[in-house]
Amino acid sequence: MSEVPEKLEIKQKFPLWKKWLKPVTEKDYKPGFYSYMALPKQVNSDFFKMPFGDVVREPLEKDWKLPENWKNIVLNEMKDTLEKNRAFKVFMDICVRCGACADKCHYYIGTGDPKNMPVMRAETVRSVYRYHFTPFGKIFGDWAGARPLTEEVIKEWYYYMLQCSLCRRCSLFCPYGIDTADIVWWTRRILSRIGINQRFMCISIEASARTGNHLGLYAGGMAGAIQQGLEELKDITGFELHTYINKPGADVLFVAPSADYFATPHWYVMLGYLLLFNELEERYGITVTWSTYASEGGNFGTFHSYEAAQLLNSKIYKEAERLGVKFIIGGECGHMWRDKHQFINTMNNLPKNEEWRRFWEDPDLGQISGGLKGIRLDEFISGEHGWIHILEFVAALIEHKKIDIDKSRNDHWKATYHDPCNVARGMGMLEEPRYVLRNVMNHFYEMPEHTIREKTYCCAAGGGMLADELMELRMRGVMPRMMALRYVVKKYGVNIMLTPCAIDKAQFPVAVEYWKIPVEIGGPMEMVGNALVLTALGEKPEDRKYDLRGTPIREEE
Amino acid sequence: MSGVLYIFYVLPYIAIAIFIAGVIYRIVNWANSAVPLKIPTTAGQQPCFRFIRRTWIDKIDSPSNKFWAFVRMIFEVFLFRSLFRNTKYYVEKAGKNADTRWLWVFAILFHYSLLVIVIRHLRFFTNPTPKFVSLIEYLDGLVGVAIVPPLLMTGVLALVGLAFLWGRRIFLAKERCISLPSDHLILFFMAVILVSGLLLRYVVKADLSYVKMFALSIITFHPPSPEVLANLHWLFLIHFTFVCITIAYLPFSKVMHFAGVWFSPTRNMPNDNRMRRHVNPWDPNPEVPILARVGITVDGHVFKCKKLDWDTYYEMYKDQLDEIAENNYVLKPEEL
Repeated sequence: MSEVPEKLEIKQKFPLWKKWLKPVTEKDYKPGFYSYMALPKQVNSDFFKMPFGDVVREPLEKDWKLPENWKNIVLNEMKDTLEKNRAFKVFMDICVRCGACADKCHYYIGTGDPKNMPVMRAETVRSVYRYHFTPFGKIFGDWAGARPLTEEVIKEWYYYMLQCSLCRRCSLFCPYGIDTADIVWWTRRILSRIGINQRFMCISIEASARTGNHLGLYAGGMAGAIQQGLEELKDITGFELHTYINKPGADVLFVAPSADYFATPHWYVMLGYLLLFNELEERYGITVTWSTYASEGGNFGTFHSYEAAQLLNSKIYKEAERLGVKFIIGGECGHMWRDKHQFINTMNNLPKNEEWRRFWEDPDLGQISGGLKGIRLDEFISGEHGWIHILEFVAALIEHKKIDIDKSRNDHWKATYHDPCNVARGMGMLEEPRYVLRNVMNHFYEMPEHTIREKTYCCAAGGGMLADELMELRMRGVMPRMMALRYVVKKYGVNIMLTPCAIDKAQFPVAVEYWKIPVEIGGPMEMVGNALVLTALGEKPEDRKYDLRGTPIREEE
Repeated sequence: MSGVLYIFYVLPYIAIAIFIAGVIYRIVNWANSAVPLKIPTTAGQQPCFRFIRRTWIDKIDSPSNKFWAFVRMIFEVFLFRSLFRNTKYYVEKAGKNADTRWLWVFAILFHYSLLVIVIRHLRFFTNPTPKFVSLIEYLDGLVGVAIVPPLLMTGVLALVGLAFLWGRRIFLAKERCISLPSDHLILFFMAVILVSGLLLRYVVKADLSYVKMFALSIITFHPPSPEVLANLHWLFLIHFTFVCITIAYLPFSKVMHFAGVWFSPTRNMPNDNRMRRHVNPWDPNPEVPILARVGITVDGHVFKCKKLDWDTYYEMYKDQLDEIAENNYVLKPEEL
């Protein structure tokens, strides 16, 4: 882990265009801001083979060992991208450089580096586009803001394309909807064609391509982790609970980000899932199964390229079909829901099993259990997709009074809610988590209005930026979120920030420690788990003495 | 001498031809690119269970179907919806964000003033002048009626808007940094056109009857008499030339944003991913992921990944998977 100085300074210089057209190269790379490059074992593996991945590359070295023909490859790939992705082409052409996006980027706010303004991040690519793909760029050169493709430009791309967390906050404010995430994503794809890949994301992509999940957990390890969760729940609730894994013929497949099996505070969220599934099975006979093959909800491929994303998310519909489930519930994760909401049914064919087809003809949960009649999924989902978010699902259960809730069990928590970027801007799930939280706890407070909902600030660790070597970038980028959090901590005494995102849950504990904000991090499903009364198992509201973290719910009398 | 002046008669045809050909080329060029994914930026509550409240703003910002996506485009194009959302971040005030709508105000002023000015110019090209043109001109002059000729507000407002939009590119360090020469160039064109136009109306007071005859000759494809050309004011010729240059330049400039915004997938696509499947035209039948199906071909080399289907997976981790199956796929807390 790179050291982050105690005091962060933002020094700003704004060079004129001729100056910034000169690329930033490895000589200017700052520790804490550049990513390590992928090793052959990650990008030359049987299960994830990227072009020219068989070479060890060092970002700080002058020679990046690019393939002989790299220039042609990049230009061909750029041409290909322009043809394959209208967004990329339109965004290359229509930016007017109005600057509305500039102070919307948390990395720009935190670092003050002008090339971290979304407009400039895109401009590093556009300048090359202008030179090689437009007549004016070729004729007027730097006077048209154009520059030829050189090895230095590749180095600049690598530096700045990997200082973006694909949070799309800029795209929200852009009058033309220019989505820097899209430009960055497809430029990373171009870089991957000449062997330039970031190590952090490729470790997970390779692991997921080989084992089914980012952590590289084998089937037994995953089963063991969930089993341990059941043991912990026995201590907390006193009940002998169970769950299914790889179970053919289950009603529902449940897919969570793999961090939930091990990491803290993700762990408490997993306990929440398990409590809910047991209550539902006991009460309504609905069976939910985990899968070791489709054991990863997250998709680091969505940080890398279309093809990598497809490689990873292709398993899930296949598994749904093999197990013969009716629909899929997805767990708490941010970029997972960009992938699962916007990408998965385009990148893959749908399950073809009979159960799936029959369920979606009339997708009322009453089909599974008479007790759940009236919850209709076709109000916004069809059989052409088939995924529901666990919090949408819980919201419906609460609204239809299908589960019993004891709010007072969360009285020791004062919570605020952080919208994960992709859930907010790539999906639009804003109200459901709030609906759930207001119904499972008494103390819920919002952060300032410009930092939540669709305008939410990124945790600065998404999009592959969770790497340890990027620690200073992360701590700087998270500043806007931390300032908003500090505001509610001071004003309302908030002691937990809830977020349905695995990367947030990994980043924020580090961030609040660095920014010295006395607050815990958790997920909404943890609060649901605390408040859920296992009526079907014979639990009374007052029975629960400990919350899922093992701390006493009520003060000792 | 007078023969040379016919250049000014030919100029608009050339400019308009370049403009039309250029715009069509750009639009066809954009339209020819594939749209692989449905990626709307959702700026409001998604369509969900009915008990989740959605305001009409949510319906526009997170459209549930093509109709609402169209409404969103209308809001974006005619009201600059996204720019209206603009905020400013104050590092020094502990990260306070404030609504900042100056850019929106001046952008609206500038664009709409230009629109009215263009409509007003129709009176040169029509005989008799249509009612709505006269009406717009009348309304435009209501505030400045005391001046002769009546001071038309839009001319002034466009200039104010332009001064703001250019001023921020010159005086604010951040905006100066991101501005390219082409950003200044188009503003320079606009400035020349606006200033010369205002001068012609209020200061120089050129003889507009010749201008109108000239304009009508263009629109009716009847070359003007040498007398008309000879009587055109030199300042008018500057005004006119710059208009033509600008029109010809538009297809190659960032001003194409007026057409491009309609093609922006983050705005023009509905947030109905879970209702309707979007088919990727270059990957329409993804039974097996591309990397495992054909791989990536770069520079003649093929890079293909091994497919991890269930059977491969089962072979790799047979023991563990069999153990799970032996336990009937059930996990229970371990007996101690």
